[in-house]
Amino acid sequence: MEPILQNLYDAIMNGEANSTPGLVNQALNQGLPASQILNEGMIAAMNHVGMLFEEGEFFVPEMLIAARAMQAGLAVLKPHLAEAEVKAAGRIVAGTVKGDLHDIGKNLVCMLLEGAGFEIIDLGTDVAPEKFVQVVQEGRADVVALSALLTTTMPNMKATIEALNNAGVRGNVKVMIGGAPVTQAYADQIGADGYAPDASRAVALAKSLMDA
Amino acid sequence: MNSRERLLLALNHKEADRVPFDLGATVLTSIHHKSYRALRIYLGLPDVQPRIVDIFQQIVSVDDDMRKRLKVDVRDVAARSSAAFRIEIKEMPGYTYFYDEWGIGWRMPVEGGWYYDMFDHPLKDIQSIAEIENYNWPDPADPARFVGMGKRAKHAATVEQHGVFMGGLCAGIMEMAAWMRGFANYFSDFANNEKLLVALMRQVMDLKMGYWEKALAEAGEYVDVVNEADDFAGQFRMLISPAMYRRIVKPLHKELFDFIHARTNAKLFFHSCGAIRPVIGDLIEIGVDILNPVQVSATGMDSAELKREFGKDITFWGGGVDTQRVLGDATLDDVRADTRKRIEDLAPGGGFVFATVHNIQGNVPPENIMAMWETLQEFGVYN
Repeated sequence: MEPILQNLYDAIMNGEANSTPGLVNQALNQGLPASQILNEGMIAAMNHVGMLFEEGEFFVPEMLIAARAMQAGLAVLKPHLAEAEVKAAGRIVAGTVKGDLHDIGKNLVCMLLEGAGFEIIDLGTDVAPEKFVQVVQEGRADVVALSALLTTTMPNMKATIEALNNAGVRGNVKVMIGGAPVTQAYADQIGADGYAPDASRAVALAKSLMDA
Repeated sequence: MNSRERLLLALNHKEADRVPFDLGATVLTSIHHKSYRALRIYLGLPDVQPRIVDIFQQIVSVDDDMRKRLKVDVRDVAARSSAAFRIEIKEMPGYTYFYDEWGIGWRMPVEGGWYYDMFDHPLKDIQSIAEIENYNWPDPADPARFVGMGKRAKHAATVEQHGVFMGGLCAGIMEMAAWMRGFANYFSDFANNEKLLVALMRQVMDLKMGYWEKALAEAGEYVDVVNEADDFAGQFRMLISPAMYRRIVKPLHKELFDFIHARTNAKLFFHSCGAIRPVIGDLIEIGVDILNPVQVSATGMDSAELKREFGKDITFWGGGVDTQRVLGDATLDDVRADTRKRIEDLAPGGGFVFATVHNIQGNVPPENIMAMWETLQEFGVYN
């Protein structure tokens, strides 16, 4: 790997948000293509982070600072990716369902998806089904990602899928769900396309849904 | 046998006549006002306006007629608000909201809302420890908090002969750090701003000590259980590593628990949700007597395994039925089966106070609550 990309990779692994923008700029100044910087220096690092999380080596703090470092670097790289017409891995509209205001899990999922090269539209928390429907109707998403922390708000995942059905756009997108009370059985029951138990596996799921 | 004797036997790992039952002695073993009202109607009790005891979670103070009907064994003697603070609920588009006495902003959706959740964190932008020191913290020792507390505790213990539970000043030291800083900042601080995080947790701990000093002087002799808490695990694993907990937080917890134990004979009840099995041994080591809510649906938290591994050293207060996957929406037979299993796992030899895993949520039907309760009556009996 180019030394500068190795430095960028290490900075993301170590969660050094202060140094990643400078390293991205250095890599650009050395004439490296934006897509190579993204894939080798950044996405690869986040893949490694995800692996360490799944192995129980990393926990939320380590994963979060890595994701923040990734985001800081990405802010610099984005215009160059657009200029080079580098396509996102997919477009995901995400949000915590209606009645539920919890966002730490959802935010972490969004950061990791972004770190894996996805374009994210984050609708925030307490998101009404119609808002998801609107984004899908506008053709701005390949995947709808729904989060809920509560047994009391989880039924709004089902309501959101029904709203997509009623609007006739369910077939246009894949739906993935997650959150503490959510299970694969619940995903099957409400007709979601997938469930992931944590942010790292949400990335793998999103990739597989894009390939499906 | 009276309720207090029943509770004390259980807490000392002895079998009483039956498993003691808690509903509403803590803000972690209570019931949402919607399901409480439905339960009252179902049981033919007068349809009174529920008294909200915790505005955040929208849970109630369980009325005496309900306590009697359900044979509740424990009562709380909570501190009151400081005289300097009055809650003011305001409106913003789509939400009602308020700021608590710590400066944390909370809001609840007007439509479809169940609880207040945080939206504003007063220390989210701080860079220095000086900003923590200079913050306008609440006064934990404000005498207004403790008015009548000793009398209430004495009455509950000696006249009503209930077990007496004393709540704390606020959430745990980690939780308060998270709420003051915002969750993303808080988790980042663990990884790259440890000094600031520890200063913040220590600040909260000092306030807690100020509270316990006063509260235990006021009512300690009648109190059977005191409450501390910290949530730091998720559904499948801990949110911070066990090693990080042991290095950064455990010494602070120990200092706080030692402080409390030095001032009361009451047992220390520690609330911690999720998959915390890797640190239960640590908690026992630093003086936790009682574990709550025993989230049996989380990874590694099977009730039978926990009892086997830790049952001699810790009392389980909670875990009575899986509230996440069973109590709310399974069949009545499933509710009965799960409740029976938890009792059979946790009750032998004492060391078990029956309570649901965390509060009964607002959408739980009264039939389910009573199926759980009837199972407790049938199987929660010692020979």
